[in-house]
Amino acid sequence: MRRTLAPLLALLLIAGIGFAIYDSMSEQMTLRERVSITGLIGSEKEAFFADPRVQKALEENGLIVKVEKAGSRQIATAYDLKKYDFAFPAGQPAADKILQAVGKRSTDTPFFTPMVIASWRPIATILEANGVVRERDGVYYWFDLDRYFEWTQRETRWKDLKDNAAYPVNKSVLIRSTDVRKSNSAAMYLALMSYIANGQRIIASRDEMDAALPRLAPLFLRQGYTEYSSEGPFENYLAMGMGSSPLVMIYESQFIHEALKEPSAIRPEMVLLYPEPGLFTRHVLVGLSEQGARLGQVLSNDEALRRLAIEHGFRTSDAASFQAQARQRHLAVPAELIQVIDPPSYEILEGMIQAIEQLMN
Amino acid sequence: MKIQPIVAILIALVLGWWLMKGEDTPAEAPVLHVLAGSELKDVEPLLPQLEKDTGVRLKLDYIGTLDGAEQLSQGADYPLAWFSHAKYLELLSGMNARIQAREKIALSPVVIGVRQSVARRFGWDASPPSWREIGQRAEAGELRFAMTNPTASNSGFSALIGLIAALSSDPEGFTLTPAQQEEVKGFFKGQRLTAGSSGWLAESYTRDQERLDAIVNYESVLLQLNRGGQLKEPLTMIYPREGVVTADYPLLLLDPAQRAAYDKVVAWFRQPGIQERLMKETDRRPMLPTVPLDARFKARDLIELPFPGQRSVVDRILSSYLDEQRPVAHAFFVLDLSGSMQGERLAALKASLLNLMGADTSLTGQFARFRAREQVTFLPFRDTVETPNTIGLSTEAAIEGELESARAYVRQFHAGGGTAVYAALAEAYRRVAEARQAHPERYYSIVLMTDGVSNSGLDFDLFRAAYQALPPDVRVTKTFPILFGESDNAAMHGLAELTGGKVFDGSQNLAAAFKAIRGYQ
Repeated sequence: MRRTLAPLLALLLIAGIGFAIYDSMSEQMTLRERVSITGLIGSEKEAFFADPRVQKALEENGLIVKVEKAGSRQIATAYDLKKYDFAFPAGQPAADKILQAVGKRSTDTPFFTPMVIASWRPIATILEANGVVRERDGVYYWFDLDRYFEWTQRETRWKDLKDNAAYPVNKSVLIRSTDVRKSNSAAMYLALMSYIANGQRIIASRDEMDAALPRLAPLFLRQGYTEYSSEGPFENYLAMGMGSSPLVMIYESQFIHEALKEPSAIRPEMVLLYPEPGLFTRHVLVGLSEQGARLGQVLSNDEALRRLAIEHGFRTSDAASFQAQARQRHLAVPAELIQVIDPPSYEILEGMIQAIEQLMN
Repeated sequence: MKIQPIVAILIALVLGWWLMKGEDTPAEAPVLHVLAGSELKDVEPLLPQLEKDTGVRLKLDYIGTLDGAEQLSQGADYPLAWFSHAKYLELLSGMNARIQAREKIALSPVVIGVRQSVARRFGWDASPPSWREIGQRAEAGELRFAMTNPTASNSGFSALIGLIAALSSDPEGFTLTPAQQEEVKGFFKGQRLTAGSSGWLAESYTRDQERLDAIVNYESVLLQLNRGGQLKEPLTMIYPREGVVTADYPLLLLDPAQRAAYDKVVAWFRQPGIQERLMKETDRRPMLPTVPLDARFKARDLIELPFPGQRSVVDRILSSYLDEQRPVAHAFFVLDLSGSMQGERLAALKASLLNLMGADTSLTGQFARFRAREQVTFLPFRDTVETPNTIGLSTEAAIEGELESARAYVRQFHAGGGTAVYAALAEAYRRVAEARQAHPERYYSIVLMTDGVSNSGLDFDLFRAAYQALPPDVRVTKTFPILFGESDNAAMHGLAELTGGKVFDGSQNLAAAFKAIRGYQ
């Protein structure tokens, strides 16, 4: 008995070791095929990268992607970019800022999204009664930014508006944005309002900028404390409601993504207002390492990832799929924006932000 | 049975491999220290579950909001920080570069809990009042309330910001017309109790509930008071019409190396199940919008008042509170100058007092120093009580000269003689009674600093009898004893208990104890 047991045991154990070696080898081999990369992203893309389907699609392209959130405009200054493989801020100006810091790198713009104002049906109704918002094909358009801008200059309050029973509040009518120093969505809001302040023309010179600034700065200074990243105000909008956040500048993608979630925090009284003219935020991936740059190409070209981007609320070059999704899920979003402007040049926008920053400090 | 050596070696190898494989071995949970506001104490019971689920062990080290903000901005080495809000922190220079990430965990508005019968009498249970109406009741003496010191604690800070935004005709500018400034002053005429921490204020309200009508605090603290069974009358939550300021409890990451642990902790707290537990067990509102709000949160859609975005605006608001709006403070300092104070101890006492006279130029030091309008009485004692010295401060413009004479007074302190602790304290109460006759509107408090055991004059029992014989409006004056040297710790705690005060430990850092007490004056 003893004689047979010992060799048997030995055999079993050898088999076990063999399996163990094979197991750890195969694990290492699969790991070797993929590369792990880390990048800094604007908070609006966090959910996209956290989606297991996205991770799987990236792994199929040989990439294991880890991300850290940052204010898009802070990426260039507040982090040691040598430690990262890519930066994926929101907004061309934020990407330009990074390129200024790291020198020439490859960039890709796999998706984009328009700036919208998250609001509430009772608020939209008040604004409609006061002639700045109009409903068209089930979508609310903020067509009179001129008048809104005038209100901000006169410090018009909700209680001063007519038919305001749903919101008779002694707060200024003021769109809430992020911190213009740190976050792209606020910079986009500034870009939009600078066009209005400059008489519906993109600011193109230092003189025009200096003339507009005294009227633009209060849009930010009067907000008081602002959050560093676009996720913050939208989170407050969802969690704290109309009393806290009657009008919030967000990315359309944030709202669509939340609306498609299960369970979703979007309630029927939550509505989007589309400013006219509109403004797109381009999501620009700056490759900081070779593999980081490859991520930009993969996101732009991989069919599965492009589809997932649309499911996360972004728009891509595939307008038809975006439209089909909106129709299917009953989202009140326009298929395309008719009148779209560009932000002012990098130098002008940075100049305006720096001037406002000085007033803030 | 004898196993062949080769078999034994093989067994050892295989076992070793399994153990080395890593993922299966339970990792030793590293302790992550969190600099935290004391209002987060009630979250502690959830932490064992956090450790079990994520392997991350949090240890909360408590501190006042402003104190914490200052320490962090001066580089205090903590991987994480957690306060009721980070708005002020972010306004301090250098902080933005330190904060690697921030995620809100829960919500709680700062509101007013009003005794049910009082709320009914004013009709506030049926329709919420404005801050202005609340201020008018307070000014008329019909609403006696407790609120923390805005320079020391965030609930008082938030309430002050809300009050000013609500009364101002320009809420986003936080400016007040002279008439509005009077309204703010009127509101504070109703303040009968202050404190340096929200938790202690709630305890103190419970103790003093007979003489108070209301308490300003986080909704979560007030709901817990109502649940606690210590109140003779429940509090009705009052959400002022103009709006409130809401705490959002952001968890801050300061050390980038702890990113992975931080992400796990945040993800854990933001799960629906944990958000629900936070709501049920700590009475905070969930941050996750898909978790439905419990029925006991009466007001659902709260108007959120603006919060300043500039440090200079916050400093202006706090300075104006101290120098113009708050009830005039009259602080009594009962100070042991007996022989045992000789040397380092006396030097520490002098330095502590000089700090309150402008030597401490830090952010919190500026708010903790003696301020315009304040009355400060020094009662030094040895075998008997020495001649008291009262310094009356007038305006911020004249304060430098007035503080200079106070400094000269403190510098000439010298040690020698016995220790008549209770005789001195009894004298302080006698003088409080006298001062109160002339100025019933002032806020009185007593600090007792002794480094030894009483050996002259009254003993504790005689003092207690004398204290209990005082008129009720004098008896409400609290004594804040400081532990120092060989002070009789049991007796000091007894004094705090008797008078409703609080003991501060000055044995490690006397100046810090004196500074912390300023939040309670």
